[in-house]
This record gives sequence, C-alpha cells and structure tokens, in this order.
Amino acid sequence: MDAIKVKVMRRVELFRGLTEQQLHSLAEICYEEHFHTGAALFEQNEVGDKMYIVRDGQVEVRVRDQDGTSYAAVYLGAGQVVGEMALVDAGRRSATVVAVDDDTVVYSIPHHDFTQLCQSDNAIGYVMMRNLAQDLSFKLRHRDFDPSES
Amino acid sequence: MIYKVSYVVQGGEYPGGIKNEEVYPQPGAHVKIGPMTFEIVEVHEIIPPRDDFQFLHATVKPVTEDDRKSKKKSQKVT
Repeated sequence: MDAIKVKVMRRVELFRGLTEQQLHSLAEICYEEHFHTGAALFEQNEVGDKMYIVRDGQVEVRVRDQDGTSYAAVYLGAGQVVGEMALVDAGRRSATVVAVDDDTVVYSIPHHDFTQLCQSDNAIGYVMMRNLAQDLSFKLRHRDFDPSES
Repeated sequence: MIYKVSYVVQGGEYPGGIKNEEVYPQPGAHVKIGPMTFEIVEVHEIIPPRDDFQFLHATVKPVTEDDRKSKKKSQKVT
C-alpha cells in the first residue's frame, strides 16, 4: 500500500526533493479518503487539522464572503494540495472544499503527525515547507494571471 | 516530466483550475475544469522548470456544441 502511495507522491510537487526513505516515512502518515460529488472535505471557518493532496478527481474551493455570497474560487485536480494553510498557521479554514467528481480520492496528512515527523527529521520539514511556499506562490500567480497581458 | 498547469478561462467569469498533467497541454485540446469542458487556446511557461516539474499557464475558452460537432467531424475525416 505504501509503495503505491510513494509512487503517487513522487508525482506531487509538494514532495519534490525528498528521498525514497523520507517518502516512505510520509506515506505512513498519509491516509486515503474517498469523496462523492458534492461531499465536503472541510467547511469554511472550521479549525483545520489536516491538509489534503488530490490523487484522483477534482475539488472545488468555494469561498463565502462577508455578505454571505458564496462563489467557486478555483478547481484543483490531480497532484494539488488543499488545506495546507492549516499546517502553516493552524488557523481556521479560509474556504469550503467539495469534491467535484464522483470517487474523488485524496491523501490526508494530519497536522499533529506532520509536525512530529518534521521535528524528528528536520530535512523533511525544510523541503516540505519550501515546497508549500512554492505551491502557495504558484496559486497566487494563477489567481493574478491576466490573459490579456500575455 | 510533470506539467503543473494553471488553467485560466478567457473572460474571467468562470474560476480556472490547477492540475498536474502527464503530457504537455496543446492548443486545441480539451480539458475538464470543474464540471465544464474547455478548449486550450494558448500555453506559456510561468517560471523555469524545477527537477521533473514544468510550470505552465494555459488560457482556455468554453467548448460550444458547434466545437464538439466540428471536432467529431474532423476526427472522422482523419
């Protein structure tokens, strides 16, 4: 089972630069979860205790603004990370995330397990935090891209 | 190579998407973003590649029923 997870993880940027052994350590704290269309991975304003990596299918990131209007902000597909801010700041969820496709498969990584692993192997912590920062940067570039300027 | 693609929809009214692709996204190809299907219009590199990852922006437009019919027709011809 972990061998399959490691194979998938090698194709996810979040894990770029980790050794085979480090990937196996991470695979031990990655939990496979399945969601049907419309099922929520988590809700906005909940306390976040884990992040997710989309393995198959797509999820919709839905934001509700201050006047109660809800809108889809972005769709994330295979290989993308969602809910990662919980691992960075342990704050409340900034959006609701729901599965778009039937049998959307994700790997979840609990905050507590992740912190423990990073403390026991600082190199994993450094690489993962660097990759998380780069992923957040990519999402900002996606949000700010104006096709008319290309 | 893994292509991490930021799909941006022309007009800006529909949210785009981000996903990893196994093959380089080609203009004219179709891609599903959320529940809808789009046609890729153009592709640009956003930032230099890192290891096995290449980072791309793809501008896309909605696929109309006419597009679908003409695509089917051209596939039959070729």
